[in-house]
Amino acid sequence: MNSRVFQIGILLAMTATNSHAQEALSDDKYVPREEYEQLKEQFDALKAEVDKLKTTGQPQKPRPDDTVKTPTTEYQLTEQERRSRDQVISDIVENWQLNQASLADSSKFLIAGYATAGFTDQEGEDSNFSAKLVPVFLWKLNDRLLFEGEVEFELENVNGASETEVNLEYANVSYLLNDYITLGAGKFLTPFGLFGERLHPAWINKLPDAPLPYGSGGLAPMSSVGFYMRGGVAVEETKFNYAFYVSNGPNLNTATATKAGTLIFDNYEDINNNKAIGGRVGVLPVPEMELGYSFQVARVAPDGFERVDAVIMGVDFSYVRYIDALGGIVDFRAEWVFSDVENATFDPAGSLGFGPLTFDNKRHGGYVQLAYRPSKNSSEILRRLEFVTRWDMIELPSGAPDETDEQRLTFGLNYWLAPSTVVKAAYRLGNKENNAEDQNAFFLQAAVGF
Amino acid sequence: MHRRFLIPTIVLVLAGVLAIGVSGCSVRAPGQGITPQDGSVLQAPVPVPKEGAEVWADNCMRCHNIRPLTSYSDAQWEVVVHHMRVRANLTAVEHKAIVEFLKGAN
Repeated sequence: MNSRVFQIGILLAMTATNSHAQEALSDDKYVPREEYEQLKEQFDALKAEVDKLKTTGQPQKPRPDDTVKTPTTEYQLTEQERRSRDQVISDIVENWQLNQASLADSSKFLIAGYATAGFTDQEGEDSNFSAKLVPVFLWKLNDRLLFEGEVEFELENVNGASETEVNLEYANVSYLLNDYITLGAGKFLTPFGLFGERLHPAWINKLPDAPLPYGSGGLAPMSSVGFYMRGGVAVEETKFNYAFYVSNGPNLNTATATKAGTLIFDNYEDINNNKAIGGRVGVLPVPEMELGYSFQVARVAPDGFERVDAVIMGVDFSYVRYIDALGGIVDFRAEWVFSDVENATFDPAGSLGFGPLTFDNKRHGGYVQLAYRPSKNSSEILRRLEFVTRWDMIELPSGAPDETDEQRLTFGLNYWLAPSTVVKAAYRLGNKENNAEDQNAFFLQAAVGF
Repeated sequence: MHRRFLIPTIVLVLAGVLAIGVSGCSVRAPGQGITPQDGSVLQAPVPVPKEGAEVWADNCMRCHNIRPLTSYSDAQWEVVVHHMRVRANLTAVEHKAIVEFLKGAN
Protein backbone atom coordinates (compact mmCIF):
# COMPACT_ATOMS: atom_id res chain seq x y z
CA MET A 1 0.00 0.00 0.00
CA ASN A 2 1.58 3.18 -1.00
CA SER A 3 1.13 6.68 0.39
CA ARG A 4 -1.45 7.56 -2.27
CA VAL A 5 -3.83 4.90 -0.96
CA PHE A 6 -3.23 6.10 2.57
CA GLN A 7 -4.09 9.68 1.57
CA ILE A 8 -7.33 8.57 -0.07
CA GLY A 9 -8.26 6.60 3.01
CA ILE A 10 -7.73 9.66 5.19
CA LEU A 11 -9.87 11.69 2.80
CA LEU A 12 -12.69 9.17 2.97
CA ALA A 13 -12.57 9.19 6.73
CA MET A 14 -12.58 12.99 6.80
CA THR A 15 -15.48 13.13 4.38
CA ALA A 16 -17.50 10.73 6.49
CA THR A 17 -16.65 12.55 9.70
CA ASN A 18 -17.51 15.89 8.12
CA SER A 19 -20.94 14.67 6.98
CA HIS A 20 -21.75 13.30 10.43
CA ALA A 21 -20.67 16.50 12.13
CA GLN A 22 -22.75 18.58 9.76
CA GLU A 23 -25.74 16.35 10.45
CA ALA A 24 -25.28 16.76 14.18
CA LEU A 25 -25.05 20.53 13.96
CA SER A 26 -28.21 20.77 11.96
CA ASP A 27 -31.59 20.74 13.56
CA ASP A 28 -32.87 18.93 10.53
CA LYS A 29 -31.71 15.28 10.36
CA TYR A 30 -31.89 15.39 6.54
CA VAL A 31 -29.46 17.28 4.27
CA PRO A 32 -30.70 19.00 1.13
CA ARG A 33 -30.99 16.82 -1.91
CA GLU A 34 -28.48 18.84 -3.81
CA GLU A 35 -25.84 18.47 -1.12
CA TYR A 36 -26.58 14.82 -0.80
CA GLU A 37 -26.07 14.22 -4.51
CA GLN A 38 -22.78 16.11 -4.43
CA LEU A 39 -21.43 14.15 -1.48
CA LYS A 40 -22.58 10.90 -2.98
CA GLU A 41 -20.83 11.71 -6.21
CA GLN A 42 -17.59 12.40 -4.37
CA PHE A 43 -17.95 9.25 -2.35
CA ASP A 44 -18.58 7.09 -5.41
CA ALA A 45 -15.59 8.54 -7.21
CA LEU A 46 -13.28 7.94 -4.28
CA LYS A 47 -14.63 4.47 -3.74
CA ALA A 48 -14.02 3.61 -7.38
CA GLU A 49 -10.46 4.82 -7.13
CA VAL A 50 -9.82 2.81 -3.95
CA ASP A 51 -11.25 -0.29 -5.60
CA LYS A 52 -9.03 0.25 -8.60
CA LEU A 53 -5.96 0.68 -6.45
CA LYS A 54 -6.73 -2.48 -4.65
CA THR A 55 -6.70 -4.39 -7.92
CA THR A 56 -3.79 -2.67 -9.71
CA GLY A 57 -1.71 -1.35 -6.84
CA GLN A 58 -1.09 1.88 -8.86
CA PRO A 59 -2.73 5.27 -8.36
CA GLN A 60 -5.04 6.34 -11.13
CA LYS A 61 -3.75 9.21 -13.16
CA PRO A 62 -5.88 12.26 -12.58
CA ARG A 63 -7.90 13.33 -15.57
CA PRO A 64 -8.13 16.96 -16.57
CA ASP A 65 -11.85 17.02 -15.91
CA ASP A 66 -11.62 15.38 -12.52
CA THR A 67 -13.89 17.13 -10.11
CA VAL A 68 -12.55 15.33 -7.11
CA LYS A 69 -10.03 17.41 -5.26
CA THR A 70 -7.49 15.47 -3.25
CA PRO A 71 -5.46 17.09 -0.56
CA THR A 72 -1.70 17.32 -1.19
CA THR A 73 1.22 17.68 1.16
CA GLU A 74 4.17 20.00 0.34
CA TYR A 75 7.12 18.12 -1.05
CA GLN A 76 10.25 18.70 0.97
CA LEU A 77 13.40 19.11 -1.18
CA THR A 78 16.46 17.25 -0.09
CA GLU A 79 19.64 19.19 0.50
CA GLN A 80 21.11 17.84 -2.73
CA GLU A 81 18.02 18.80 -4.70
CA ARG A 82 18.08 22.28 -3.20
CA ARG A 83 21.71 22.72 -4.20
CA SER A 84 20.97 21.53 -7.74
CA ARG A 85 18.05 23.95 -8.00
CA ASP A 86 20.18 26.86 -6.76
CA GLN A 87 22.95 25.93 -9.19
CA VAL A 88 20.54 25.92 -12.14
CA ILE A 89 19.17 29.33 -11.18
CA SER A 90 22.69 30.67 -10.71
CA ASP A 91 23.74 29.36 -14.15
CA ILE A 92 20.74 30.97 -15.83
CA VAL A 93 21.44 34.35 -14.23
CA GLU A 94 25.13 34.15 -15.06
CA ASN A 95 24.48 33.27 -18.71
CA TRP A 96 22.02 36.11 -19.02
CA GLN A 97 24.53 38.55 -17.61
CA LEU A 98 27.24 37.26 -19.96
CA ASN A 99 24.91 37.58 -22.93
CA GLN A 100 24.09 41.14 -21.99
CA ALA A 101 27.79 42.01 -21.71
CA SER A 102 28.52 40.30 -25.00
CA LEU A 103 25.79 42.26 -26.74
CA ALA A 104 27.21 45.52 -25.41
CA ASP A 105 30.74 44.58 -26.43
CA SER A 106 29.73 43.60 -29.95
CA SER A 107 28.10 46.95 -30.57
CA LYS A 108 29.20 48.27 -33.95
CA PHE A 109 28.42 51.87 -33.14
CA LEU A 110 31.15 54.16 -31.93
CA ILE A 111 31.40 57.86 -31.16
CA ALA A 112 34.90 59.24 -31.64
CA GLY A 113 36.05 62.73 -32.61
CA TYR A 114 37.95 65.61 -31.06
CA ALA A 115 37.55 68.85 -29.17
CA THR A 116 39.64 71.99 -28.85
CA ALA A 117 39.98 75.05 -26.67
CA GLY A 118 42.13 77.85 -27.99
CA PHE A 119 43.40 81.37 -27.67
CA THR A 120 44.54 83.60 -30.56
CA ASP A 121 46.21 86.98 -30.41
CA GLN A 122 46.83 88.41 -33.88
CA GLU A 123 48.24 91.83 -34.67
CA GLY A 124 45.53 94.25 -35.67
CA GLU A 125 42.74 92.12 -34.22
CA ASP A 126 41.24 91.57 -30.80
CA SER A 127 42.60 88.56 -28.98
CA ASN A 128 40.05 85.81 -28.64
CA PHE A 129 39.29 82.53 -26.91
CA SER A 130 37.61 79.80 -28.89
CA ALA A 131 36.21 76.30 -28.51
CA LYS A 132 35.13 73.54 -30.82
CA LEU A 133 33.54 70.10 -30.46
CA VAL A 134 33.63 67.66 -33.36
CA PRO A 135 32.02 64.28 -32.70
CA VAL A 136 32.46 61.54 -35.28
CA PHE A 137 29.78 58.86 -35.53
CA LEU A 138 30.87 55.49 -36.85
CA TRP A 139 28.46 52.66 -37.45
CA LYS A 140 29.67 49.39 -38.89
CA LEU A 141 26.50 47.86 -40.29
CA ASN A 142 28.27 44.66 -41.30
CA ASP A 143 31.69 43.52 -42.50
CA ARG A 144 31.32 45.51 -45.71
CA LEU A 145 29.12 48.47 -44.88
CA LEU A 146 30.21 51.46 -42.81
CA PHE A 147 28.48 54.74 -42.08
CA GLU A 148 30.61 57.65 -40.92
CA GLY A 149 29.48 61.13 -40.03
CA GLU A 150 31.12 64.16 -38.45
CA VAL A 151 29.39 67.22 -37.02
CA GLU A 152 31.31 70.33 -36.05
CA PHE A 153 30.07 72.62 -33.30
CA GLU A 154 32.01 75.87 -33.31
CA LEU A 155 31.58 79.24 -31.64
CA GLU A 156 31.20 82.00 -34.20
CA ASN A 157 30.80 85.73 -34.08
CA VAL A 158 28.52 86.83 -36.91
CA ASN A 159 27.81 90.55 -37.25
CA GLY A 160 28.60 91.12 -33.63
CA ALA A 161 26.33 88.34 -32.39
CA SER A 162 27.80 85.21 -30.88
CA GLU A 163 26.31 81.94 -31.94
CA THR A 164 27.11 78.27 -32.18
CA GLU A 165 27.72 77.23 -35.74
CA VAL A 166 26.88 73.65 -36.64
CA ASN A 167 28.33 72.07 -39.76
CA LEU A 168 27.93 68.61 -41.17
CA GLU A 169 31.55 67.94 -42.10
CA TYR A 170 30.83 64.60 -43.69
CA ALA A 171 28.19 61.89 -43.74
CA ASN A 172 28.60 58.96 -46.07
CA VAL A 173 28.17 55.24 -46.47
CA SER A 174 30.96 53.08 -47.85
CA TYR A 175 30.88 49.51 -49.11
CA LEU A 176 33.87 47.18 -49.36
CA LEU A 177 33.21 45.72 -52.79
CA ASN A 178 36.30 43.51 -52.76
CA ASP A 179 39.89 43.56 -51.52
CA TYR A 180 40.82 46.42 -53.84
CA ILE A 181 37.72 48.57 -54.27
CA THR A 182 35.63 50.48 -51.78
CA LEU A 183 32.59 52.35 -53.02
CA GLY A 184 30.93 55.18 -51.15
CA ALA A 185 28.43 57.98 -51.44
CA GLY A 186 27.34 61.02 -49.50
CA LYS A 187 29.30 63.97 -48.23
CA PHE A 188 32.94 63.01 -47.79
CA LEU A 189 36.30 64.60 -47.11
CA THR A 190 37.73 65.25 -50.54
CA PRO A 191 40.70 63.03 -51.33
CA PHE A 192 42.83 65.93 -52.48
CA GLY A 193 46.30 66.12 -50.98
CA LEU A 194 46.91 65.07 -47.41
CA PHE A 195 45.88 67.85 -45.09
CA GLY A 196 42.17 68.05 -45.84
CA GLU A 197 41.44 64.38 -45.61
CA ARG A 198 43.93 63.05 -43.09
CA LEU A 199 45.61 65.81 -41.10
CA HIS A 200 43.03 68.47 -40.34
CA PRO A 201 41.69 67.15 -36.99
CA ALA A 202 43.15 69.33 -34.26
CA TRP A 203 44.74 66.44 -32.35
CA ILE A 204 46.54 65.38 -35.56
CA ASN A 205 47.43 68.79 -37.00
CA LYS A 206 50.71 69.77 -35.37
CA LEU A 207 49.97 73.50 -35.46
CA PRO A 208 46.85 75.32 -34.27
CA ASP A 209 45.89 76.63 -37.72
CA ALA A 210 45.60 75.22 -41.22
CA PRO A 211 48.18 75.88 -43.95
CA LEU A 212 47.13 78.55 -46.47
CA PRO A 213 46.11 76.31 -49.39
CA TYR A 214 43.63 74.49 -47.11
CA GLY A 215 42.34 77.22 -44.86
CA SER A 216 39.38 79.49 -45.35
CA GLY A 217 39.62 80.91 -48.86
CA GLY A 218 42.15 78.24 -49.79
CA LEU A 219 42.77 76.60 -53.12
CA ALA A 220 41.92 72.97 -52.41
CA PRO A 221 38.51 71.37 -51.81
CA MET A 222 38.03 70.07 -48.28
CA SER A 223 34.76 68.15 -48.71
CA SER A 224 32.50 67.11 -51.56
CA VAL A 225 29.04 65.68 -52.15
CA GLY A 226 28.87 62.79 -54.57
CA PHE A 227 30.23 59.25 -54.74
CA TYR A 228 33.70 57.77 -54.68
CA MET A 229 35.73 54.69 -55.40
CA ARG A 230 38.96 54.04 -53.54
CA GLY A 231 41.35 51.40 -52.32
CA GLY A 232 44.90 50.22 -51.97
CA VAL A 233 47.11 47.51 -53.35
CA ALA A 234 50.61 46.34 -52.50
CA VAL A 235 53.10 45.20 -55.09
CA GLU A 236 55.95 43.59 -53.21
CA GLU A 237 57.44 46.34 -51.01
CA THR A 238 55.66 49.18 -52.76
CA LYS A 239 52.13 50.16 -51.92
CA PHE A 240 49.77 52.11 -54.14
CA ASN A 241 46.54 53.77 -53.17
CA TYR A 242 43.89 55.61 -55.10
CA ALA A 243 40.67 57.55 -54.63
CA PHE A 244 38.46 58.89 -57.42
CA TYR A 245 35.20 60.73 -57.07
CA VAL A 246 32.39 62.49 -58.89
CA SER A 247 30.81 65.38 -57.03
CA ASN A 248 28.65 68.46 -57.40
CA GLY A 249 31.82 70.50 -57.72
CA PRO A 250 32.83 74.02 -56.75
CA ASN A 251 31.12 77.26 -57.67
CA LEU A 252 32.85 80.25 -59.27
CA ASN A 253 32.34 83.46 -57.37
CA THR A 254 31.03 85.91 -59.98
CA ALA A 255 29.05 88.45 -57.98
CA THR A 256 31.18 89.54 -55.03
CA ALA A 257 33.55 92.40 -55.82
CA THR A 258 36.31 91.29 -53.43
CA LYS A 259 36.07 87.58 -54.26
CA ALA A 260 35.38 87.49 -58.00
CA GLY A 261 37.25 84.61 -59.62
CA THR A 262 37.67 82.53 -56.46
CA LEU A 263 36.23 79.04 -56.16
CA ILE A 264 33.66 78.31 -53.48
CA PHE A 265 34.07 74.75 -52.30
CA ASP A 266 31.45 74.66 -49.58
CA ASN A 267 28.44 74.94 -51.87
CA TYR A 268 26.82 71.55 -51.79
CA GLU A 269 24.35 71.92 -54.61
CA ASP A 270 25.28 71.71 -58.25
CA ILE A 271 24.89 75.15 -59.84
CA ASN A 272 25.30 74.15 -63.48
CA ASN A 273 24.30 70.49 -63.83
CA ASN A 274 27.92 69.63 -64.53
CA LYS A 275 29.79 67.36 -62.18
CA ALA A 276 33.34 67.64 -60.95
CA ILE A 277 35.69 64.70 -61.37
CA GLY A 278 38.73 64.30 -59.22
CA GLY A 279 40.98 62.00 -57.33
CA ARG A 280 44.32 61.24 -55.83
CA VAL A 281 46.86 58.53 -56.44
CA GLY A 282 49.56 57.79 -53.93
CA VAL A 283 52.64 55.63 -53.88
CA LEU A 284 54.60 54.43 -50.88
CA PRO A 285 57.98 53.08 -51.95
CA VAL A 286 58.71 52.42 -48.28
CA PRO A 287 56.16 52.47 -45.44
CA GLU A 288 57.39 55.77 -44.03
CA MET A 289 57.29 57.73 -47.27
CA GLU A 290 54.32 58.69 -49.44
CA LEU A 291 54.08 60.71 -52.63
CA GLY A 292 50.75 61.77 -54.03
CA TYR A 293 49.20 63.51 -56.99
CA SER A 294 45.70 64.99 -56.84
CA PHE A 295 43.44 66.61 -59.40
CA GLN A 296 39.96 67.98 -59.87
CA VAL A 297 38.35 69.16 -63.10
CA ALA A 298 35.02 70.95 -63.09
CA ARG A 299 32.83 73.41 -64.93
CA VAL A 300 32.43 76.03 -62.28
CA ALA A 301 30.41 78.99 -63.58
CA PRO A 302 26.75 79.21 -62.59
CA ASP A 303 23.98 79.03 -65.15
CA GLY A 304 23.73 82.31 -67.07
CA PHE A 305 27.45 83.05 -66.85
CA GLU A 306 29.92 82.29 -69.62
CA ARG A 307 31.42 78.80 -69.70
CA VAL A 308 34.37 78.50 -67.31
CA ASP A 309 36.34 75.34 -66.60
CA ALA A 310 38.71 74.88 -63.72
CA VAL A 311 41.57 72.46 -63.18
CA ILE A 312 43.09 72.05 -59.74
CA MET A 313 46.16 69.92 -59.23
CA GLY A 314 48.19 69.08 -56.18
CA VAL A 315 51.31 67.21 -55.21
CA ASP A 316 52.15 66.02 -51.75
CA PHE A 317 55.03 64.37 -49.99
CA SER A 318 55.30 62.99 -46.49
CA TYR A 319 58.03 61.25 -44.57
CA VAL A 320 57.50 60.10 -40.99
CA ARG A 321 59.99 57.92 -39.23
CA TYR A 322 61.81 57.23 -36.03
CA ILE A 323 65.47 58.00 -36.67
CA ASP A 324 67.87 56.37 -34.28
CA ALA A 325 70.63 58.87 -34.95
CA LEU A 326 68.35 61.70 -33.89
CA GLY A 327 66.78 59.77 -31.01
CA GLY A 328 63.29 60.66 -32.07
CA ILE A 329 60.57 60.90 -34.67
CA VAL A 330 60.89 63.17 -37.68
CA ASP A 331 57.72 64.24 -39.46
CA PHE A 332 58.32 66.03 -42.73
CA ARG A 333 55.53 67.10 -45.07
CA ALA A 334 55.18 69.28 -48.11
CA GLU A 335 52.18 69.97 -50.31
CA TRP A 336 51.57 72.25 -53.26
CA VAL A 337 48.31 73.15 -54.96
CA PHE A 338 47.87 74.73 -58.40
CA SER A 339 44.55 76.22 -59.44
CA ASP A 340 43.89 77.18 -63.05
CA VAL A 341 40.49 78.73 -63.76
CA GLU A 342 39.67 79.77 -67.31
CA ASN A 343 39.69 83.49 -67.90
CA ALA A 344 36.32 85.16 -67.72
CA THR A 345 34.91 88.67 -67.62
CA PHE A 346 33.26 89.42 -64.31
CA ASP A 347 30.50 92.00 -64.08
CA PRO A 348 30.70 92.58 -67.86
CA ALA A 349 28.05 95.31 -67.85
CA GLY A 350 29.39 97.02 -64.77
CA SER A 351 26.04 96.67 -63.05
CA LEU A 352 27.65 95.22 -59.90
CA GLY A 353 30.03 98.12 -59.62
CA PHE A 354 33.36 96.37 -60.10
CA GLY A 355 33.43 95.31 -63.75
CA PRO A 356 34.15 94.64 -66.40
CA LEU A 357 37.00 92.73 -64.78
CA THR A 358 39.30 90.23 -66.47
CA PHE A 359 42.53 88.68 -65.22
CA ASP A 360 44.65 85.59 -65.67
CA ASN A 361 43.05 83.40 -63.01
CA LYS A 362 45.93 81.15 -61.95
CA ARG A 363 46.81 80.62 -58.31
CA HIS A 364 49.12 78.41 -56.37
CA GLY A 365 50.15 77.82 -52.82
CA GLY A 366 51.72 75.27 -50.55
CA TYR A 367 53.48 74.49 -47.35
CA VAL A 368 56.54 72.76 -46.00
CA GLN A 369 56.42 71.47 -42.43
CA LEU A 370 58.98 69.78 -40.23
CA ALA A 371 58.37 68.36 -36.77
CA TYR A 372 60.68 66.53 -34.41
CA ARG A 373 59.89 64.72 -31.21
CA PRO A 374 62.74 63.32 -29.08
CA SER A 375 60.75 60.22 -28.23
CA LYS A 376 63.75 58.24 -26.98
CA ASN A 377 65.15 60.92 -24.70
CA SER A 378 65.76 59.86 -21.11
CA SER A 379 63.77 62.81 -19.82
CA GLU A 380 60.04 62.21 -19.82
CA ILE A 381 59.36 65.91 -20.27
CA LEU A 382 61.50 66.03 -23.39
CA ARG A 383 59.94 62.84 -24.71
CA ARG A 384 56.57 64.52 -24.60
CA LEU A 385 57.74 67.68 -26.34
CA GLU A 386 57.49 68.23 -30.06
CA PHE A 387 59.11 71.02 -32.05
CA VAL A 388 57.32 72.14 -35.20
CA THR A 389 57.98 74.68 -37.91
CA ARG A 390 56.01 75.38 -41.07
CA TRP A 391 56.35 77.74 -43.97
CA ASP A 392 53.24 78.26 -46.07
CA MET A 393 52.35 80.64 -48.86
CA ILE A 394 49.69 81.46 -51.40
CA GLU A 395 50.10 83.49 -54.57
CA LEU A 396 47.11 85.07 -56.24
CA PRO A 397 46.80 86.38 -59.81
CA SER A 398 47.78 89.96 -60.59
CA GLY A 399 44.72 92.05 -61.26
CA ALA A 400 42.42 89.91 -59.16
CA PRO A 401 40.31 91.79 -56.61
CA ASP A 402 41.65 91.74 -53.10
CA GLU A 403 44.86 90.27 -54.47
CA THR A 404 47.00 89.60 -51.43
CA ASP A 405 49.84 87.18 -51.82
CA GLU A 406 50.67 85.85 -48.42
CA GLN A 407 53.37 83.89 -46.77
CA ARG A 408 53.88 82.83 -43.20
CA LEU A 409 56.47 81.16 -41.03
CA THR A 410 55.24 79.47 -37.88
CA PHE A 411 57.15 77.99 -34.96
CA GLY A 412 55.35 75.68 -32.60
CA LEU A 413 56.02 73.80 -29.40
CA ASN A 414 53.71 70.95 -28.47
CA TYR A 415 53.42 69.01 -25.24
CA TRP A 416 51.76 65.61 -25.50
CA LEU A 417 49.82 64.72 -22.37
CA ALA A 418 48.65 61.50 -24.00
CA PRO A 419 48.85 60.07 -27.53
CA SER A 420 45.75 62.01 -28.56
CA THR A 421 45.88 64.93 -26.12
CA VAL A 422 48.17 67.85 -26.81
CA VAL A 423 48.75 71.42 -25.72
CA LYS A 424 50.18 73.58 -28.52
CA ALA A 425 51.84 76.96 -28.40
CA ALA A 426 52.82 78.64 -31.67
CA TYR A 427 54.02 81.96 -32.97
CA ARG A 428 53.37 82.91 -36.58
CA LEU A 429 55.22 85.51 -38.60
CA GLY A 430 52.83 86.55 -41.35
CA ASN A 431 53.06 88.94 -44.23
CA LYS A 432 50.62 90.00 -46.94
CA GLU A 433 52.12 91.69 -49.99
CA ASN A 434 49.64 94.54 -50.26
CA ASN A 435 49.05 94.94 -46.58
CA ALA A 436 51.32 97.14 -44.55
CA GLU A 437 50.35 95.44 -41.35
CA ASP A 438 51.99 92.16 -40.46
CA GLN A 439 49.85 89.11 -39.77
CA ASN A 440 51.90 87.99 -36.79
CA ALA A 441 49.93 85.93 -34.31
CA PHE A 442 50.31 83.95 -31.11
CA PHE A 443 48.30 80.77 -30.58
CA LEU A 444 47.54 78.51 -27.67
CA GLN A 445 45.46 75.42 -28.24
CA ALA A 446 44.52 72.31 -26.30
CA ALA A 447 43.26 69.46 -28.43
CA VAL A 448 41.82 66.12 -27.38
CA GLY A 449 41.08 63.22 -29.69
CA PHE A 450 38.59 60.74 -28.29
CA MET B 1 59.48 85.70 -51.73
CA HIS B 2 59.70 88.12 -48.88
CA ARG B 3 63.32 88.50 -47.84
CA ARG B 4 62.85 87.65 -44.20
CA PHE B 5 61.28 84.31 -45.06
CA LEU B 6 64.00 83.26 -47.45
CA ILE B 7 66.61 81.96 -45.02
CA PRO B 8 64.21 80.20 -42.60
CA THR B 9 62.49 78.52 -45.52
CA ILE B 10 65.73 77.27 -46.98
CA VAL B 11 66.72 76.01 -43.54
CA LEU B 12 63.37 74.24 -43.14
CA VAL B 13 63.61 72.46 -46.47
CA LEU B 14 67.23 71.52 -45.94
CA ALA B 15 66.47 70.18 -42.48
CA GLY B 16 63.76 67.97 -43.89
CA VAL B 17 65.97 66.70 -46.65
CA LEU B 18 68.77 66.12 -44.15
CA ALA B 19 66.48 64.14 -41.87
CA ILE B 20 65.48 61.90 -44.74
CA GLY B 21 69.10 61.56 -45.74
CA VAL B 22 70.15 60.57 -42.22
CA SER B 23 67.55 57.84 -42.14
CA GLY B 24 68.79 56.54 -45.47
CA CYS B 25 65.32 55.90 -46.83
CA SER B 26 65.97 52.25 -46.23
CA VAL B 27 63.33 49.60 -46.11
CA ARG B 28 62.83 48.77 -42.49
CA ALA B 29 63.63 45.34 -41.21
CA PRO B 30 60.75 43.50 -39.57
CA GLY B 31 60.21 44.68 -36.04
CA GLN B 32 62.56 47.62 -36.29
CA GLY B 33 61.44 51.12 -35.49
CA ILE B 34 58.07 50.45 -33.94
CA THR B 35 58.03 53.37 -31.61
CA PRO B 36 54.79 54.44 -30.04
CA GLN B 37 54.72 58.20 -29.79
CA ASP B 38 53.24 58.11 -26.34
CA GLY B 39 56.14 58.86 -24.03
CA SER B 40 54.54 56.83 -21.27
CA VAL B 41 54.95 53.53 -23.05
CA LEU B 42 58.28 54.11 -24.69
CA GLN B 43 60.24 52.58 -21.86
CA ALA B 44 58.30 49.35 -21.84
CA PRO B 45 57.20 48.33 -25.32
CA VAL B 46 54.47 45.74 -25.31
CA PRO B 47 55.65 42.37 -26.67
CA VAL B 48 53.41 41.78 -29.62
CA PRO B 49 53.42 39.77 -32.84
CA LYS B 50 55.62 41.64 -35.33
CA GLU B 51 53.55 41.32 -38.44
CA GLY B 52 50.34 42.98 -37.31
CA ALA B 53 52.16 45.39 -35.00
CA GLU B 54 54.34 46.65 -37.82
CA VAL B 55 51.44 47.15 -40.16
CA TRP B 56 49.56 48.95 -37.41
CA ALA B 57 52.50 51.19 -36.51
CA ASP B 58 53.41 51.96 -40.12
CA ASN B 59 49.94 53.04 -41.11
CA CYS B 60 48.89 54.90 -37.98
CA MET B 61 52.14 56.77 -37.48
CA ARG B 62 52.02 58.13 -40.99
CA CYS B 63 49.39 60.64 -39.84
CA HIS B 64 49.03 60.59 -36.06
CA ASN B 65 50.25 59.17 -32.77
CA ILE B 66 49.51 55.58 -31.99
CA ARG B 67 46.76 55.15 -29.47
CA PRO B 68 47.10 52.67 -26.61
CA LEU B 69 45.73 49.21 -27.31
CA THR B 70 43.34 49.60 -24.42
CA SER B 71 41.68 52.67 -25.94
CA TYR B 72 38.95 50.52 -27.40
CA SER B 73 37.40 47.08 -26.97
CA ASP B 74 37.86 44.46 -29.69
CA ALA B 75 34.50 45.31 -31.22
CA GLN B 76 35.30 49.02 -31.20
CA TRP B 77 38.71 48.43 -32.77
CA GLU B 78 36.94 46.60 -35.60
CA VAL B 79 34.88 49.72 -36.28
CA VAL B 80 37.89 52.02 -36.01
CA VAL B 81 40.06 49.95 -38.34
CA HIS B 82 37.24 49.64 -40.86
CA HIS B 83 36.91 53.43 -40.77
CA MET B 84 40.66 53.84 -41.24
CA ARG B 85 40.73 51.32 -44.08
CA VAL B 86 38.44 53.64 -46.01
CA ARG B 87 40.14 56.87 -44.92
CA ALA B 88 43.76 55.77 -45.39
CA ASN B 89 43.21 53.34 -48.28
CA LEU B 90 44.52 50.35 -46.35
CA THR B 91 44.71 47.12 -48.29
CA ALA B 92 42.55 44.16 -47.30
CA VAL B 93 45.64 42.34 -46.05
CA GLU B 94 46.62 45.29 -43.86
CA HIS B 95 43.06 45.56 -42.55
CA LYS B 96 43.02 41.92 -41.52
CA ALA B 97 46.51 41.99 -40.01
CA ILE B 98 45.75 45.06 -37.90
CA VAL B 99 42.43 43.73 -36.60
CA GLU B 100 43.97 40.38 -35.69
CA PHE B 101 46.87 42.09 -33.96
CA LEU B 102 44.64 44.41 -31.97
CA LYS B 103 42.33 41.59 -30.90
CA GLY B 104 45.27 39.44 -29.92
CA ALA B 105 47.02 42.15 -27.96
CA ASN B 106 44.00 43.77 -26.31
